Amino acid sequence: MEYLEFRNVGKAFPGVVALDGVSFTARAGKVVALLGENGAGKSTLLKILSADIKADTGKVVLSGKELSFSSTAQAINAGISVIYQERQLIPAMSVMENVFIGELPVKNGLVDFNRLFLDTKAIIDKFGLPIDPEATVMSLPVAYQQMVEIMKAYRRDCLVIAFDEPTAPLTDTEIDILFNIIRQLKEAGKIIIYVSHRIREIFQITDEIAVLKDGRLVKTLTTPETDQQELISAMVGRDIGDTYASLDRNGEPGSVVLEVDNLCTDAVDNVSFTLRAGEIVGFAGLVGAGRTEVARAIFGADRILSGEIRLGGGSVRFKTPRDAIKAGIALCPEDRKEQGLVLWASIRDNICMPVLHKLKKLIFLDGAAQDRLTQAAVEKYSIRTPSLWKRALELSGGNQQKVILGRWTSDEVATRVLILDEPTKGIDIGTKAEIYQLVCDFAKRGVGVIFISSELTEVINVADRIIVMHNGHITGEVARQDATEEKVLSLAMLS
Amino acid sequence: MKKKLPLAGALRSKAFTLVVLLVILVALFTVLASVNNTRFFTARTFIGILSDLAVPSFLAIGAGCLIVSGNIDLSQASVGAMAGVILAVGISWWQIPWWGAIVLAIAASAAAGLLNAVIVNELGIAPFVTTLAISSVIKGITMLLSTDPGNILVSSIAFTTPATDAIAAASFGDIPATAIVMVAAFIVYGLMLAKTKLGKSIYLIGCNRVAARLSGLGEKKISYFLFINCSALGGVSGVILSLRSKQGTMLALQSDQFTGVTAAILGGISFSGGSGGMGGAFMGLLVIKTFNKGMMIADSNTYLTFVLSGVLLIAALTMDYVSVRRQRKRAGA
Repeated sequence: MEYLEFRNVGKAFPGVVALDGVSFTARAGKVVALLGENGAGKSTLLKILSADIKADTGKVVLSGKELSFSSTAQAINAGISVIYQERQLIPAMSVMENVFIGELPVKNGLVDFNRLFLDTKAIIDKFGLPIDPEATVMSLPVAYQQMVEIMKAYRRDCLVIAFDEPTAPLTDTEIDILFNIIRQLKEAGKIIIYVSHRIREIFQITDEIAVLKDGRLVKTLTTPETDQQELISAMVGRDIGDTYASLDRNGEPGSVVLEVDNLCTDAVDNVSFTLRAGEIVGFAGLVGAGRTEVARAIFGADRILSGEIRLGGGSVRFKTPRDAIKAGIALCPEDRKEQGLVLWASIRDNICMPVLHKLKKLIFLDGAAQDRLTQAAVEKYSIRTPSLWKRALELSGGNQQKVILGRWTSDEVATRVLILDEPTKGIDIGTKAEIYQLVCDFAKRGVGVIFISSELTEVINVADRIIVMHNGHITGEVARQDATEEKVLSLAMLS
Repeated sequence: MKKKLPLAGALRSKAFTLVVLLVILVALFTVLASVNNTRFFTARTFIGILSDLAVPSFLAIGAGCLIVSGNIDLSQASVGAMAGVILAVGISWWQIPWWGAIVLAIAASAAAGLLNAVIVNELGIAPFVTTLAISSVIKGITMLLSTDPGNILVSSIAFTTPATDAIAAASFGDIPATAIVMVAAFIVYGLMLAKTKLGKSIYLIGCNRVAARLSGLGEKKISYFLFINCSALGGVSGVILSLRSKQGTMLALQSDQFTGVTAAILGGISFSGGSGGMGGAFMGLLVIKTFNKGMMIADSNTYLTFVLSGVLLIAALTMDYVSVRRQRKRAGA
């Protein structure tokens, strides 16, 4: 029986111990979940497995043989495939070329495209997906791109397949497709490691659970024998109770702050809604339903074809995000790392970014004022960092999100409407709860909040009202009291 | 909250590496020159280097600021040559006053920058391609301007006025006035980059343009400014060269075509944007020009100078590559 064993694996980065003597075993035909908050060491463990980084101590053993690779290519050849959130595909090339990359079938010195097509088609059919082997990867939805990555691992006949938060960009239906594939791989006798924050999924798909906290292995559990409460308390180290019930909400929304009338862009059609001061309006829907595009249009980031937007009663149409920010609209974009943060810049620069013009002494920037503003945000949001100068890329996902929120909270920006696009994507449970409360705090201060999320439970529990979108249209609106996952989902999937 | 140790930062900075490199070069050339029975380590040599710097320094400043923001301009030297020709033609053929000719030369340069900015920002064409194409256009215009009424292409157009001669000869003691203007420009642009909102915005745009736009930094306006600034400074260096040589020629700045960009990169302004500064760019330029001067005094062959300049650049970029990689590794990215 094949098995993969981590034996006393340790790894330290300057200032942090990422892994501290972690040992556990994954067996063939089983799905082992790696569970833990951000910074618990899950990603470091995967990187050691794929030979992306080297462990300081301990070893990784595959069926009795110690693994030592000097490059990720060697790890892949040895049958180890780690599927990261950042897909490692070539977007402009076709699905079949990506699946067979590195081992394209050759006939008479030329690529045998016929065989390539047929072989790829066979894998696609096995997975039961409606993908054209000749389509370019970039023309596919994110979910299918992820599937292509998995097909690549499947084609290489990797014995070990590790998934790093595979469902983060996926909607519920797409998750079902993924789980079917994982079950197939499991039956084929693969060793599967599954990293996720989402407790519900862990119960759906995994057989065993290894819980990490602060670089240590806290517990290993058998999935059918445990429950949510036990997992959460093992992960967080304390009982966090019912997150949603304990939120301190804003009881009474004020007057209407934002009205959108028949908004049309390239991606959305006749969208109308209102937002009150101090109200949280959720936007639910599948990926690609047009929620992000509504936000971007309001924010002046995308071109508006027709329709009207009124802010505080007056008609507005912003040409650039800069104009929108001046008028009091703030956006925390969907993609934290690409669109939200300047990763190589310090926390201070990231927080002060939109208000630099107010932090000046004569013509020069006022360093002390920037420090004060950043310090205030760090304290208010309990951003865990040793210094204001730390680069944003060195923070965990949750802390990164707090930095972006911190940007819109100082006295220097008069935020009236805050748009949050997937604010808790890839963030652990403990920090999620903190962020929900921060969102409610914004509402209590009279800010109108638009809360876009693909996680149904979250959006129907945090928002006061939920607007559901499908294919660029609004298909319905539900109040929190009446909202159930079934109701919202049926509106989201309406065709 | 712990602040970075200023000394540790300075030691690790690119400028410091370049100071070391400079000391090595000076020592090397002193030895080489003495072998050839000449002297390198003289006041004259250094004043010579300083005045050699003045012309390309404006190229380096303009290119440096633009590269920090993640863009590039390859048309700068052609624009400089055009400015020099406009100055010469303006004074000796069009009979306009010297100051009018200077203003016209700089304005035309700025217009070339505006054209670059419009094409890059509005049409979304890559700056590398855009500025290469514009460079060719500018060269053509410069030739057209250098064609006299008898339809003959004049390769160098001489001019002389008391005022321009006085400017060219102006100096404080042994130090030419242009060198002082150059130092002042480095200080002004250095402060702008390091201490002002504009400077901070340029770095943030260079690191992540999308995030900068969504945070309201007005990245388009800044991009326009940087392209225009880069070309206008290219014009300034062309005008200074012209004033000094009392002629305008379409062949001006040929050997300095990439000096600005090279100095900036050598000085630690990374091609990927968001890093480096004016101190580094100045040191980069100093290294290049010391090297050239040294090779000249050591009486080496011209071809060797070219070969070794290339080697020097590759060496500097390798250092840059290694240090960036180490940083990324340390950050766990």
